[in-house]
Amino acid sequence: MAAAANWRRDHVLWVEAFVLVNLAFLSIDIFLAHSENAFHHREEWIPFYFSLFAAVLLAVGLVARELYDRPRWWVLLGHLIGALAVLIGLAGVVYHLDSRFFYEKTILSLTYAAPFVAPLAYTGLGLLLIMNRMVPAESIEWAQWLLLLTLAGFFGNFVLSLTDHAVNGFFHETEWIPVASSALAVSFLLLPFFRPVTRGYLWICALVLLIQAAVGVLGFILHGIADLHGPSKSLFENVISGAPPMAPLLFPNLVILGFIALWAYARQLSKPGPARPRSNPEPVR
Amino acid sequence: MTFRNVFIAIVAAFGLILSAFLLNRARPSAETNQPDVAAVRASGKCAECHSRQQYSVVHEYEMSMHAAKHVNCLECHRPAQNQQGHEHHGFVIVARLTAGNCRGCHEGIYQEFLRSRHAAVSWAAVYGAQGLTAEQVAYAEKFHPGYANRPPHPFTTLEGPSAMTSGCEQCHAVGKPNADGTVGSCTACHTRHTSSIAIAREPRTCGQCHMGPDHSQIEIYEESKHGVMFNAQHELLRLNTRAGQLTTREMWVPTCATCHMSGINGNKVTHDPSARLSYYLADPITKQRPNYTLAQSNMREICNQCHTKGLIDRVYRQAEQVVSVTNDRVKAAKAIPDALRAEGVLSGKPFTNRIDFVYFDFWHYDARTAKHGAFMGGADFVQWHGNYPMLSKMVELEAMSAQMRKEHGGRR
Repeated sequence: MAAAANWRRDHVLWVEAFVLVNLAFLSIDIFLAHSENAFHHREEWIPFYFSLFAAVLLAVGLVARELYDRPRWWVLLGHLIGALAVLIGLAGVVYHLDSRFFYEKTILSLTYAAPFVAPLAYTGLGLLLIMNRMVPAESIEWAQWLLLLTLAGFFGNFVLSLTDHAVNGFFHETEWIPVASSALAVSFLLLPFFRPVTRGYLWICALVLLIQAAVGVLGFILHGIADLHGPSKSLFENVISGAPPMAPLLFPNLVILGFIALWAYARQLSKPGPARPRSNPEPVR
Repeated sequence: MTFRNVFIAIVAAFGLILSAFLLNRARPSAETNQPDVAAVRASGKCAECHSRQQYSVVHEYEMSMHAAKHVNCLECHRPAQNQQGHEHHGFVIVARLTAGNCRGCHEGIYQEFLRSRHAAVSWAAVYGAQGLTAEQVAYAEKFHPGYANRPPHPFTTLEGPSAMTSGCEQCHAVGKPNADGTVGSCTACHTRHTSSIAIAREPRTCGQCHMGPDHSQIEIYEESKHGVMFNAQHELLRLNTRAGQLTTREMWVPTCATCHMSGINGNKVTHDPSARLSYYLADPITKQRPNYTLAQSNMREICNQCHTKGLIDRVYRQAEQVVSVTNDRVKAAKAIPDALRAEGVLSGKPFTNRIDFVYFDFWHYDARTAKHGAFMGGADFVQWHGNYPMLSKMVELEAMSAQMRKEHGGRR
């Protein structure tokens, strides 16, 4: 019973599971996204294979920590995969911008070039892995870092939904919904870094996050409908060239991370006096 | 405390949304004000791939009047009526455009083209009525009686399909019947992605087909004073001036298009290059066209933009004399193989005997060249590439005829 309770309250484990699932899922997403480009450059395979292997290695590290009491494996593998993910994400931004924007430097080229924000998903996941190992879990700092990375994710969603829907010229007014909702998420999650917040404010943030989840589900449905009515007889062709069905799912995905952050933050707020680490007192280095 | 935070968060969110609106508004309306989503996407998506493959098409398009007028890729590449599109990275397009795609915006021009010899008549000169619909043949016959409803050229069988496909058809496809029911391709003269009026006005554009011994218009033009002046001053001309606005200030030196098609100094523009032609010069025996008087009057009006009536009258008078004399010479030349056939000296299918080729070259090369040279100011072509070889071949025809009669008599 106690073990089950520990498992449920272990933020570190939840974040680790979040990164693992995301990396595994990114392999499918990258395959679809780069299929549109027919993997024109060999480098486009790097994130695909990295996502597959990284997810497996992270799982190995997690099993080593949880079942075989080998936390060092977990730490080393996490740092390695985290560093590589950060590098791949940053290189991806450069590669995506290099597809057209570096040459033309226009809004048009930024709009229609490969989505330059998308690779930062790897950087974000990499930073999560490193942060999860370097910052004490039961500290306000851990909660703040997690909140900051969630906020960065929503800012990425704001830019992505703006540029992706600009490709359509916001032909349907509904295309503005994710832009507005992610702007709301960014501003609400940003505030705790500048002003003291109460548990009540965190509840409002949770509500804002729930709206993001609903927007994501709505986007998934609308993208799906658009693809079902796409120009090709092949659904696969419509999916890779049309509205990306996975993209709106980034919203509920980040909501999960946001909830973990709010949860950890609220727990720190409820502590009397300055926040002190309780469990997992020292990061394993 | 919570309300203040909520207020600040909402203000910040509104700021972000507002900046998104402003950024989107900064985009050129050509990219966003399109009739449908596909057209909006096409305003940038096509170039995203095609600036990395078939590079030149994007650059050519960017230089075109279509780009200046915000006509994007999909507007031309969208399947037109009776065209079967195919799926292409999220778009339904046709890769190979026909006049059917251009007529969507340029219907009047297409109708002028349809009446011209560039349309069905051009195709029929090689393949006959084959491939053309009964309606297309009937329409072309209204304007050019006897030139569309005809059998395929004998060379289609004598030389075979590869010679036709890679040879004759490359030019005569300007009037090819398309699967969508239209005829021809505008890109033959205007090129594909540049869609250029300037290229269509270049003499070399016409010269890609109107060249060589059988229709040596480009060589004649280059010999003429018009051609000499063009070569000297072409960089000063403004060949890209819009049709309807073209004056002799932009093109004081004429190219093929100026005389045959352009509406210089307020004259009527036409995409029927026959509209100002008064004779069928390409025929063995040249006769007046059905619209002889009107056509010549139209051409004289164009000549008159630069030349006085006296000069124009003299050119026409001299050229018509060349036509008349050349007709007599062709009739005389034709009489030789005709007589041999009538006498039974010459037998077999056409183009199975040397004398058929000599006669064919006589009218098809030399007589045509003399007549074209006379109308286009090509003195050397009237004489040394026209009348002189006609004289030489006439002697050759007579010698061959005598030899054949002698051999035929000997055999009997």
